[in-house]
Amino acid sequence: MIWEDLLENKKGFVEIIAEKFWKFFSSVKLAVILLIILAIVSIIGTIIQQNESPDKYLREYSQATVQLFEFLGFFDMYHTWWFVLLVFLLTANLTVCTLDRFPHTWKIITAPLKPIDDNTLKALPFRKEIILQGDMDKAMERSANALKNHGYSYIESKDAAGVQLLTQKGVYNRFGVYITHVSILLIFIGALIGSFFGFKAFLNLPEGVASKVVYLRNEPMWDQIMDSLGIAKSPVIHDPQEGVPAMPLGYYVRCDNFDVDYYMSPAGMPTGMPSEYHSTLSIFNLDGQKILDKRIRVNDPLTYQGVTFYQASYGTVPDARGKVILNIRKKSDTQSPGETVYVELGGSVFVPSIDRTVKVLEFAPYGMRNPATGEVQVFKTDNEEYINPAVELEIYNGKKALYQTTLLKVDSGRPNMPEDYIISFGGYWGTRFTGLQVAKDPGVWVVYIGFIMLCVGPPIAFFGSHKKLWVRIQSRGSETVILVAGSANRNRIGFERVFNKVVAEISV
Amino acid sequence: MTSSLLFSIATLSYLVAMVLYISYLAFRKKGIGTTATIVTVFGFLVQTAALLLRWRESYQMDIGRVPLSNLYESLVFFTWSTVMIYLIVEFKYKTKAFGAFVIPVAFLALAFINVAGISSDITPLVPALKSNWLFYHVLISFLGYAAFGVAFAISMVYLLIDMEERGSATNLYAGLAAIVVLASIGYFMASLGGRMKTAFWMGIGVLILAWFIYLIVAGARNKHQVFLFWSFCVTLAVSLLVAMGIDFIYLVSFQHLAEGESFKKHIFEGTFLSASPAISIISWLVVLAFFSLVWSKGLGLKNLLKPYIPAQNLLDDVTYRMIAIGWPLLTAGIITGAVWANSAWGTYWSWDPKETWSLITWFIYAIYLHSRYVRGWKGTQMAVISSVGFLAVIFTYLGVNLVLSGLHSYGGMN
Repeated sequence: MIWEDLLENKKGFVEIIAEKFWKFFSSVKLAVILLIILAIVSIIGTIIQQNESPDKYLREYSQATVQLFEFLGFFDMYHTWWFVLLVFLLTANLTVCTLDRFPHTWKIITAPLKPIDDNTLKALPFRKEIILQGDMDKAMERSANALKNHGYSYIESKDAAGVQLLTQKGVYNRFGVYITHVSILLIFIGALIGSFFGFKAFLNLPEGVASKVVYLRNEPMWDQIMDSLGIAKSPVIHDPQEGVPAMPLGYYVRCDNFDVDYYMSPAGMPTGMPSEYHSTLSIFNLDGQKILDKRIRVNDPLTYQGVTFYQASYGTVPDARGKVILNIRKKSDTQSPGETVYVELGGSVFVPSIDRTVKVLEFAPYGMRNPATGEVQVFKTDNEEYINPAVELEIYNGKKALYQTTLLKVDSGRPNMPEDYIISFGGYWGTRFTGLQVAKDPGVWVVYIGFIMLCVGPPIAFFGSHKKLWVRIQSRGSETVILVAGSANRNRIGFERVFNKVVAEISV
Repeated sequence: MTSSLLFSIATLSYLVAMVLYISYLAFRKKGIGTTATIVTVFGFLVQTAALLLRWRESYQMDIGRVPLSNLYESLVFFTWSTVMIYLIVEFKYKTKAFGAFVIPVAFLALAFINVAGISSDITPLVPALKSNWLFYHVLISFLGYAAFGVAFAISMVYLLIDMEERGSATNLYAGLAAIVVLASIGYFMASLGGRMKTAFWMGIGVLILAWFIYLIVAGARNKHQVFLFWSFCVTLAVSLLVAMGIDFIYLVSFQHLAEGESFKKHIFEGTFLSASPAISIISWLVVLAFFSLVWSKGLGLKNLLKPYIPAQNLLDDVTYRMIAIGWPLLTAGIITGAVWANSAWGTYWSWDPKETWSLITWFIYAIYLHSRYVRGWKGTQMAVISSVGFLAVIFTYLGVNLVLSGLHSYGGMN
């Protein structure tokens, strides 16, 4: 066919190829085939764990299998060229299908209603003839009322044979399928914007430490392209010692505090089941001025200048010497916030307001109070969770040791001291880091608009219908012949009900 | 009055309703049908009350969370939505014929919760789940799953009615032989270690997929294969439920589970994966016997039911409607999950197995809708796609938690 057209000089070569392409991509058969292929190949990545360490794969599969899977990209399947290509093909198919069909739909939407003739009448699925005694005016009035009762506003058209009332409803429901298709395109475009201009990174920040970079999991593609073309230098720092590429933030982020809250047992002791992980983060500009701070927790991140910090994990800093946070106030000063001091393990501090020196003997991640005696016992645990932290203190008057006591963090603010003051244990600070997930995604709003349209589109496409009604009124002797006819592109059963009601109201 | 008592009453009501709906099909007495509906509505109301009460109990325990947060609650909610959608269909289409197929699903799911020993404790939420999105995500997803469940039940009826004759016994023998050969290969490869087991699952996955595609493409022409598929689905559903029930009894009576130990580690140890080869062979023989029973008695069942089942195009239409409801709900469920993931981790899509399987399910039903709207397919093939879609739903819902690992691990059987 190509050759015939070419030889006969009907069309240019480019034109023919373009036409073939268009025809290929506008086929719904292709869409169904692509959906089937995507559904099947997607399974592979759910069976083979993605992005694990090479060691783990070698433990699980033989060397030859690992090499084969690596060659096929099965260990990071959803980012291989062939999977991305499949998604691209589906998108191209969706775009072409949509563009191919839209002009036709647009014609239907914008076409003015035309009076019905006997030919078009035959094609309509719903038809009913009513014969009324009396003149046309009465029939007109009845028909008009019946239409109005069902929310149809009509236009009148007169011709030699009689009058026609034309009406339609829900014409914009025909957009439903296009809203759905465009929404998928938007999600795809948003994802592309994200991978070109955004990044995913992580940052492990010990308490009290600030950082002006985050460590990238993937570099923004745009920066990579610009850098390799020599147009603009990528801001990403490749330090061979660090190993991981770092993205400068343009400001400092500092972890002021990290802590885990636990669910409490009925006795008021932590159960060891975490209820919340939270970090207090501060943002400083490069001159060291504080701009803001926020207590973030899982599901409640901090966003600054397009970069979002998510609470993801935590851990212990090896060999870190922490400080014990103590708060001291007089028992009588119930309103006063008291005095907060940070003391190193083994160190001591003189507190002028109570004229005592407080020495920190030991920290324990897990303490328990004997319910009978009220005495606190501490336990060394192997794990690094500070489930019910406790601290052992020794109180001095000058050089003279007065007494030793063990405080639980949960007892904070309780007046269980022998003298006229309360010491509260606020936490063991500086030994843990907060694990932050960091992301910048300028495309997320495009994706979200797509999401909203994808929620709205399908219900319109499936349940909204474009309904048309014609009422033709003609006079025949002393009788009036009324013909009611209609069509609906969806939900015919629902339309039939309305149609029958309209007919009944006119016939009465 | 506690929520668990109410749940038991609801389970019992569904059992009674199931018997009534089936006897309604058999005896066709109007009174039986009306009673069945009344009992179902009663069970539904009791279950609604139980859900609300459980919500309140969680506040009394100072945990205060939506009763949609673990496997137990999601299964309960799944049955609740299935019954609700069923009742809507019954009132809208004024037919009680589907009751005998849908209510058993609801009852069996509730019974499964009890026999599988899924913990019904109200436990506090892990930090990642503390989000308002939890409610919307789970609510919407399960309403969608329920609509697909109803579509599946109706498709199964459709395929049964669609069958004219069961074809030559060669089909059955081929099916039986396939089960015997594949099961033996499976045991053999599993005995060689983990990687061979994975290879086996991949291989069997490819075979099953090839068969599904053949059925979808050529189903209308080769109805004998479709009947084999129907027998396969029925056998699969029944043997999974029965095997899990036996597992539970076996675990409770002989093999006390350690505190907090997952049921899924011991799944099928009472039957197919039993330490005694005799028991696993017997289990497979029972499955084979059941498969041939379903296959050979299917025609009889059809003739028994035929007079009471609505016309095939009505079945086709209701299936389509259920999918037209389910697919937008599934879409919204995936979207709410994506938005939630973005607010918790900064990634709206991370290709974790649960996400991927929900997308696969979404693809399958998208194929259904496109082949219906644009290619104008109807009938047998549509019913096959709808059934395959529901198998994917089941896998998304249970299989991913049982077989694969990922973000949704808290939905596990603990």
